[in-house]
Amino acid sequence: MTMNPTSTALELRHLTFRYPNGRIALDDVSFCIAAGERVAVVGPSGAGKSTLLMHLNGLLPAPSVVFDEDARVFVQSLGVTKSRLREIRRQIGFLFQDPDDQLFCPTVREDVAFGPLNLGLTQAEVLNRVDRSLIAVGLPEHGPRNPAQLSTGERKRVCLAGVLACEPKMLVLDEPTSNLDPRARRHLLQILKEFSGTQIIATHDLDFAYDLCQRVLVLDAGKVQADGPAGQLMSNADLMDRHGLEVPWRLIQRPMTS
Amino acid sequence: MHIRDGILSPEVCAAAGLISVSAVGYSLRKLRVDLEDRAVPLTGMLAAVIFAGQMVNFPLIGLPVSGHLLGGVLAGVILGPWAGCLAITLVLIVQAVLFNDGGLLSLGANVLNMGVIGSWGGYAVYASLRKILGNNPVSAIPAAVIAAWLSVLAAAMMFCLEFGFSAGSKDFSLSGIFTLMVLYHALIGVGEALITGSILGFIFVRRPELISLSVSSGRVANVGRIVVAGMVVALAIAAFVAPFKSDFPDGLDKVAEVQGFESREVERPGLLFDDYEIPLPKRFQWSTAATSLAGLLGTCVVFAAAIALGKTARWNVASLVTDGGNAT
Amino acid sequence: MPPSSTIQNSFCHRIPSNWKLGLTLTVIVLASLIPLEHWPAIGILMVIVSIALCFANVTVGYLIRRLALFLPMLLVFGLSLPLSQLDNSAAWAWTVALWLRCTVSFLAGLWMIHVLPFPELLATLLRWRCPTLLVAMLSFMYRYIFILWDELARLRHARDARDFGGGSLAMRWMGNAQLIGLLLLRAMERAERTHHAMLARGWDGSVKFLGDDPRPAQ
Repeated sequence: MTMNPTSTALELRHLTFRYPNGRIALDDVSFCIAAGERVAVVGPSGAGKSTLLMHLNGLLPAPSVVFDEDARVFVQSLGVTKSRLREIRRQIGFLFQDPDDQLFCPTVREDVAFGPLNLGLTQAEVLNRVDRSLIAVGLPEHGPRNPAQLSTGERKRVCLAGVLACEPKMLVLDEPTSNLDPRARRHLLQILKEFSGTQIIATHDLDFAYDLCQRVLVLDAGKVQADGPAGQLMSNADLMDRHGLEVPWRLIQRPMTS
Repeated sequence: MHIRDGILSPEVCAAAGLISVSAVGYSLRKLRVDLEDRAVPLTGMLAAVIFAGQMVNFPLIGLPVSGHLLGGVLAGVILGPWAGCLAITLVLIVQAVLFNDGGLLSLGANVLNMGVIGSWGGYAVYASLRKILGNNPVSAIPAAVIAAWLSVLAAAMMFCLEFGFSAGSKDFSLSGIFTLMVLYHALIGVGEALITGSILGFIFVRRPELISLSVSSGRVANVGRIVVAGMVVALAIAAFVAPFKSDFPDGLDKVAEVQGFESREVERPGLLFDDYEIPLPKRFQWSTAATSLAGLLGTCVVFAAAIALGKTARWNVASLVTDGGNAT
Repeated sequence: MPPSSTIQNSFCHRIPSNWKLGLTLTVIVLASLIPLEHWPAIGILMVIVSIALCFANVTVGYLIRRLALFLPMLLVFGLSLPLSQLDNSAAWAWTVALWLRCTVSFLAGLWMIHVLPFPELLATLLRWRCPTLLVAMLSFMYRYIFILWDELARLRHARDARDFGGGSLAMRWMGNAQLIGLLLLRAMERAERTHHAMLARGWDGSVKFLGDDPRPAQ
């Protein structure tokens, strides 16, 4: 896939969101992400990371009542509004934190096929995509298996296969490494490095963020507190500490020379 | 409660199946309108919860068996009558095809008794009672408690009717089985009422918005509900009368006995009513006494529970109000 | 714990799924239709079903365990008829016929659940024109039974860790009711999240199923 570094994959313009009880979840959030960039969104619990991610494909506000003139989120320059949800969701592959929220079919094969079926593809094409996606995540023989028999890491990979089968241009991942053992975590890292599209990852796993992403956004109390190159930002112990984070081990072992 | 294959005749199974299929089809249509694209995840999940909840044992004193949730009224209160009926239907299907718990041919009868009468009917009683009791969230729990008990009894009577049409014969009386069923279901009904009320009480404290603030109004809805509720109540009351009727010989036969005539085989409409001419020996009068006692006791227990659980809800509403409504 | 689809390969497993469902229903209907006087015919059905169970690799231990749970209730139910009229031979004949009918049907059902895994059953239902929305709900429910089962076990363990055994019956009832209530709350929250996951992959309410593989064999 050729990348045009100047094309904007994602743009947020002054996005503000309140919870039903009035508490502010996102406060005037604005940033741009170029096509092919990998950005980590880090911050303490309750900072609004998941809420932010759910705005990207129109899951919030719910039900989506954003009209064209009120659009605050733009995917490939298209406003995320009620009329464009179908198109937007084709372009964004969303991986949720708990694989059991996303794996809802009786067999692996059927679950990975869910997305392509909704795209209206033929049976043969759907099955081709299912096979390719399962191979891509390293689970080629798992089609007929019952998800209940798989480990957490395998279930996470099946979810990823289900997302990749839709051939999205952008991946949005919410805490992808939670509950994964080190081997599963390494496997996931490898698969994500092979994905050439844009990636936005909300995570507490700072080493993972440092390994995968070039850029980091620090979100705290609903505001973007810092936005810059991963190495530079995450080496700033003061900044990390202020926002409930810490310098990743990788950077402690081999600090960046300024 | 689950009817096995072989107990009901194929004709009765087919008739019950036809009614159930229509009811389920209707529920699917209404649900699609109500919940749209949320229908599948919400109903499927509710069904899975009811299924899991039915496995929880509620121990009884001194008895080797335990009480269990049935969930018809619970399902209806949480997601409405259409989703409730469908959730129970799904549970019955899965139990039949995964566990062989309940027959395949008699699935139609089971769905009719527990899904349609139990959930639709139970919801109709619940909604009607709520309107009578004030149509506020606090009235939900007593209404559900009473509805749960009545719906179980109504389902029991439905089974007696189905069984009567299947096995009714001039050669023997069905009163023994009827008595057993009614006694058994009166007990189950009390358990169901208590369990449903307790669960709803818990939910009411944690997430009151799951129990909708008021039951919807609308002429058609109201009339429909009252009709269905009335049927359920009638069935429930009839359950306690069914074994009684077996004791009273028909006036005509009594006269024939007195006059010494041979009682000829007379063709009477409806197999069920043939039994009522056979007078039972005196020593079995206790079965009807026991049945009426069960009815009386059950009524007292259920109303006491309804009042008690309703009072608890009232206190919690009060604390919610003074708390500013932060009930998380 | 619901049985997960253990992949078995007996002769009966290889029969087409339409036949599995159809044969079972036929046996059950036959058992119900055979009149009381011809009860040896039910005996023949019993033998046929038993042979089928052997060919399905069903172990004797499994059979005995399942029958042990089923027969007592059936016996009690059946006995309640003649016990209220001891000298009525017609009542006894009816009861014995009931026991035979129900047992044969039960065994036939047991054979079916053994040889027809749930996903295959769903495919059969679709072929038999069952409403797609209902089949989708069944499919969903089946998956979440496993998850909720684990969740219920976790809730129970958490509760048991704080239970020192002194509670009254009423307290235990309330505790169990709270268990179910908590499970319900969590499940409904999960259903909302799952709905989001479905929307994210293009779900618009119209159910589509993956059929058989139309690609030429490689």
